Amino acid sequence: MGLLAVGTPLDWPEAKKVADHVREWGIEQLLAIWNRAKGKERDALLWGDEIEYLVVSFDDEKREVKLSLRQADILEALANDAELLKQGGGVPDLAVGEAKSARSAPTFHPEFGRFMLEATPGRPWGIGFKDLLDVEQDMKWRRQIAKDHIFAYEYPVTLTTFPMLGDRKSITPFYEPSGPKLRSQFVPDEIANPHIRFPTLAANIRWRRGRKVELNVPVFHDENTSKPWKDPTVNYDLHNWPEDDDVRNGAAKDDHIYMDAMAFGMGSCCLQITFQATNIAEGRKMYDQLSPLGPILLALTAATPIYKGFLADTDVRWNQISAAVDDRTPEELGEKPLKHDRWRIPKSRYASNSTYISQDPRLRPEYLDPDLVVDEKLKARLVEGGMDDILATHFAHLFIRDPIVVFAEDLKELDLSKTDHFENLQSTNWQHMRFKPPPPGNDIGWRVEVRPMEIQITDFENAAFSVFVVLITRAILSFDLNFYIPIPRTTENMETAHKRDAVLDDKFYFRKDPLPRRSGRTNGTASPRSRPNTPQPSRPHTPGPVEDEYELMTVDEIINGKPASGFPGLIPLVESYLDSVNVDVETRCELAQYLALIRGRANGELWTAAKWIRHFVREHEEYKKDSVVTDGMAFDLVKAAERITVNEGRDGFAREMLGRR
Amino acid sequence: MATGEEELDVGQAKKEDEFGSLLRLSPKSKSNAEFITSLRANFADHSGVQDVHVNGDGEVKKPSYKAWTKKTGDMLEIPAIDFTNSALQEEREQYDITVKLFYLPGASIEKRATETREAIQLVLKELHIPSIDLLIVSFPGIYFDEQEDCPDKLSTRGPVEADPEPLESLLEAWKTIEQLHDEGIVLKLGIAEFGKERLEALLDKARVPPAVDQINLRDCCSVPKDLMALAKSKKVELLVHNDCSNVLPRGTVRELLGQGPDGAGVLAEPSKAGDKRKSLHGEEQTNGRSHDCLVGDVQPQWVVKYTAVVRNRGVIENKGYFAAAELTD
Repeated sequence: MGLLAVGTPLDWPEAKKVADHVREWGIEQLLAIWNRAKGKERDALLWGDEIEYLVVSFDDEKREVKLSLRQADILEALANDAELLKQGGGVPDLAVGEAKSARSAPTFHPEFGRFMLEATPGRPWGIGFKDLLDVEQDMKWRRQIAKDHIFAYEYPVTLTTFPMLGDRKSITPFYEPSGPKLRSQFVPDEIANPHIRFPTLAANIRWRRGRKVELNVPVFHDENTSKPWKDPTVNYDLHNWPEDDDVRNGAAKDDHIYMDAMAFGMGSCCLQITFQATNIAEGRKMYDQLSPLGPILLALTAATPIYKGFLADTDVRWNQISAAVDDRTPEELGEKPLKHDRWRIPKSRYASNSTYISQDPRLRPEYLDPDLVVDEKLKARLVEGGMDDILATHFAHLFIRDPIVVFAEDLKELDLSKTDHFENLQSTNWQHMRFKPPPPGNDIGWRVEVRPMEIQITDFENAAFSVFVVLITRAILSFDLNFYIPIPRTTENMETAHKRDAVLDDKFYFRKDPLPRRSGRTNGTASPRSRPNTPQPSRPHTPGPVEDEYELMTVDEIINGKPASGFPGLIPLVESYLDSVNVDVETRCELAQYLALIRGRANGELWTAAKWIRHFVREHEEYKKDSVVTDGMAFDLVKAAERITVNEGRDGFAREMLGRR
Repeated sequence: MATGEEELDVGQAKKEDEFGSLLRLSPKSKSNAEFITSLRANFADHSGVQDVHVNGDGEVKKPSYKAWTKKTGDMLEIPAIDFTNSALQEEREQYDITVKLFYLPGASIEKRATETREAIQLVLKELHIPSIDLLIVSFPGIYFDEQEDCPDKLSTRGPVEADPEPLESLLEAWKTIEQLHDEGIVLKLGIAEFGKERLEALLDKARVPPAVDQINLRDCCSVPKDLMALAKSKKVELLVHNDCSNVLPRGTVRELLGQGPDGAGVLAEPSKAGDKRKSLHGEEQTNGRSHDCLVGDVQPQWVVKYTAVVRNRGVIENKGYFAAAELTD
């Protein structure tokens, strides 16, 4: 997450007044990009990954672990490291000194949580197969650099969430909760990055919504967990802010772990991959084809079984982030009749995507979301400006939202060479896929971001999933694969992916036959099919009912194949791709390890981090089978995460998750 | 048939056929299955076999092969090849074009020089390009891992159908491809499945050294250290392949072209010893099943596989095969 311009942010009532203004200018900027870049061709495959870290602080004597809120100090140290800058690294947003180098050191970025760091490679990756092997080494280098710039008792872990976040004590330095911006009874305002953008984002989401955000995660019912279970940490007697009434009005649900601030969601760490497409058409195709894979990738990377000191009955972070930035009003949510707002909106700003955008003839109208909400006026402007209907629909759908953070200074003059107003809406629509137009002023092309994956504990795993997604994109393009299913099924799959052990126990809607129809055109001659007097081929050209195109499959079937029905499986597809290109022996053997990890996660031979962590807690000597994660358990767990990160299973520890290495 | 010998260009298989069939196979299936299945599909597409109706007697009536093949000199193209619409989308420089030529077991070694050129010319014509980046030649009966400790590997290798040729014959073939290299038609040369000894010998004798040795790892990921060391020191790149050693066995050709339910109806059924129905003249008098078809012993000669990958995107844009066999009375 890059930092946008600094200025005077408007409070919500003021921001709301200029929302139309920002949207209209954003659309004009989008049209300017469109006209400038729609014909951009022949961009290479370049891609990048983003790793997010939690910085934790250990006290070995007291057996305590806390979140370190020293992000600003750490970034400052990274930004001033002359050696790192010489190699092209550092912190671009702080821009200290000149960054120039032949060797590209990774770069670091601020994130929403003040306990988080984000690191990206210093230069984008290509498709040279040797590049694919550099990814893991670069991730390890990033972690080493981060470690070199923090205290010896701190560590950058890649757990999705800190197990004790919101326990009102496990942060250092300590701040009291219940500040004016977040108004959370669990976390202080200081939990968020102090850059004015972040507290404003949190405050205006709350303000627009009319109450605090509300996260209720089902608790994992163990033998001794009471039923119904009431979150014992909720304080019903707080009277600092009007929003303290939320819990007295039933915000905290029975049998759920209750949380009330953006930090509980946006403080989660993700693994994101961004690809550059060769042109806009390929970008749109990738966006569509990767979309149905999103829930599968989420289930495979599941790593989030604990919230606020309790075992949850879900395995992934996704819905918590969704709820943490849900700015919808009661009218938009459908809780009250529409009076002031324009429409009811079925999803949060952070949710699975709701559009397909490719001009692919295989995209049947039946796949589209029948309930899609679109700002028709803005869509008409896009179409009038030359954009095709389906892409205009996509952006006019994103633009149903209000801009949350608006800086007064930016409203004076419309600058069509900038993209600030467009990005204001685009970058606060956090869907599981993002279609990114070329930024102005450089040669970057159309890009697609894949956002559903959870961060993994080791760099080995993060590299494996990153490389897997890259290889899948190459297989999709080489084999012209078709993964289209009706988009509401992907939304349902996203929910399914949350269930405990969904990766093994649940089934997901997936297209039965992803392979292209044989064209009949071989070697250019008119095929017998087109000759008169020849019987028509038995396979019909008119497509049958959409419902016949997909079925429920396990993640194992999707990843490893379903021989009985002829579904090839994503890993065999990737292997077929690798068999068809020139790959050297060492690279192929390294890639084989990555594919083995994913194959094992899908068929249950290897555990997800969610399963491993849940098991770790339940086997812990302090665990009373009551769903409670104690401070001592959290200390041991985060220590264990550090050990796994360092040894990657080679010491035999966490072999259930990583296999024999 | 006058010469008693005819060359059959037994077919062509292209990307759209091939991936369709290849990907439906389980990972355990034999690695030439994609090729064979796509040959079959291409024959079916052109011959109309897929559309035939079973008549009242339960007999399958197939159209004459002459309708969909093309005879030039003593060469029969099955199906007739049309090079008009197969060019690559972008300029030549955007691609990495790899060609692998399989010399098949039992094929005549004397004809290799001519056949090699024929095979490469077909690919150049098909893709509308003047040159290829890498030509890998594969000799029958050669496996790099004979002395290796990887039982799984040997068990998945399949039967050994030919004894390895002596070095002299390998070097003879190498001269032909060195010639193609001199002419600028092939930029880099490679061999498949050479172990350390053979590679060393080739490096010693070759005028143009191989740039690539392609080996089949079969899940073991254990490359003999001496081979690795030699390859590194001589800058021979060790690449991975997953092709089986005999991609086109004789029986398969017979079945593909034959009169069976999935056959293309080009070849007559082989005569059994002492079969009196066998005609001594050209076309067969069948027991009422087929009309005209070719008779004789079929001997597969070579298979050539080509792959065009867009360099900076890693996308396979074009992939296909040509294969040739010889028919003798």
